[in-house]
Amino acid sequence: MSRNPGKAFRNTSLVAGLVAAAALLLAPFAGYAQSASGGDRWLHVRVVSTDADGETVSVNVPLELAEKVLPAINKKELHDGKVTIDHFDSDGVDFRAVLEAVRNAKDGEFVTVTGKNHEDVRVAKKDGFLLVHVTDNSGHVGRHHSADKDADNKDNKGDKHADAKKDTVSHVEVRIPMSVVDAMLGSGKNELDIVAGLHMLAKQGDTELVSVKDEDNTVRVWVDSKNAPAPEGGTR
Amino acid sequence: MIMLAKIGLGIAGTLAVAGVYTFRDGVMRVDVDEHHAGGDHVHLWFPAAAVPMLMSAVPDRELAKASRQAREYMPLARAVAHELGQFPDTTLVEVQDRNKHVRVSTHYGAIQIDVTDPDEDVHVVCPLATIEDVTAQLAQAQPENPEN
Repeated sequence: MSRNPGKAFRNTSLVAGLVAAAALLLAPFAGYAQSASGGDRWLHVRVVSTDADGETVSVNVPLELAEKVLPAINKKELHDGKVTIDHFDSDGVDFRAVLEAVRNAKDGEFVTVTGKNHEDVRVAKKDGFLLVHVTDNSGHVGRHHSADKDADNKDNKGDKHADAKKDTVSHVEVRIPMSVVDAMLGSGKNELDIVAGLHMLAKQGDTELVSVKDEDNTVRVWVDSKNAPAPEGGTR
Repeated sequence: MIMLAKIGLGIAGTLAVAGVYTFRDGVMRVDVDEHHAGGDHVHLWFPAAAVPMLMSAVPDRELAKASRQAREYMPLARAVAHELGQFPDTTLVEVQDRNKHVRVSTHYGAIQIDVTDPDEDVHVVCPLATIEDVTAQLAQAQPENPEN
């Protein structure tokens, strides 16, 4: 036992006070320390524009966050994490019918649809993925995008109309796991269950979902386990 | 002398604990720097824990009005603030072009918005817990019959 109980009490009080102050000070960081564990899946979007401003847009969202936040949005067609689509139809292409056809098709079998506005949509199922390839020629003004470089050089030599002759073909490639498609189509005839799709997507490995390339922009959407995109837009 | 030291220690300890308690939820920060001649330079730093206290001083009628106006976005803001705290720090959105740079990120439990522009620089930091508290207070202030 201490020979001076009063002093011992003061010392104990001082230590307790300091511990309490330290605990209060560190409390805001406790949650952060717990949250830094891995295992989260992140959805990344990167848009790189090749115009004069060279704009780049980068979005990084945890899939779990999107899963939990989407049901909180109830506006217009989006409610409870589902999108209601009255007509699964765009430019004469009935996407629901196409998806159903692909769902029931054998691996590698393509469904090709030509839209009213000169866009070719090719849909296939391969290795457990839904593949969609869209080539949009609607803005095409002169020649096919693979025209040779000599022609480009000629156009660029003082021809004021060079821009008008530039390639305006855009390519869209979508690669979605079939399990995600099934989950999204599972809720109802005129609905897409986005939350169920995200939930299923979180269970997949690293994958590139969407790639869009046209004259002015490159867009990439992918999922991985990193909370920041790779420096030059690589997925891994 | 010893008595003075004890009083000094008591005051210093009280101030330290009060300071730690006041800043336990972090700091809200608003910095605005306009680059043109005569432009404003606003630098506000205040404890986030004070925000809910300040809100309780706002008249109920004004709080209800704000609540009505923000009703549509409150569940979303609350859900985002709550969920973002569960994830490691990251840059959520970044937009950059030749002149501008906009970044929305999370940093030590706070959401940080940085805008760098030829005309002005804006930096805002708001702890996620404060957003949750504010939306909760606004939700409580919501009248039972919002149409009235």
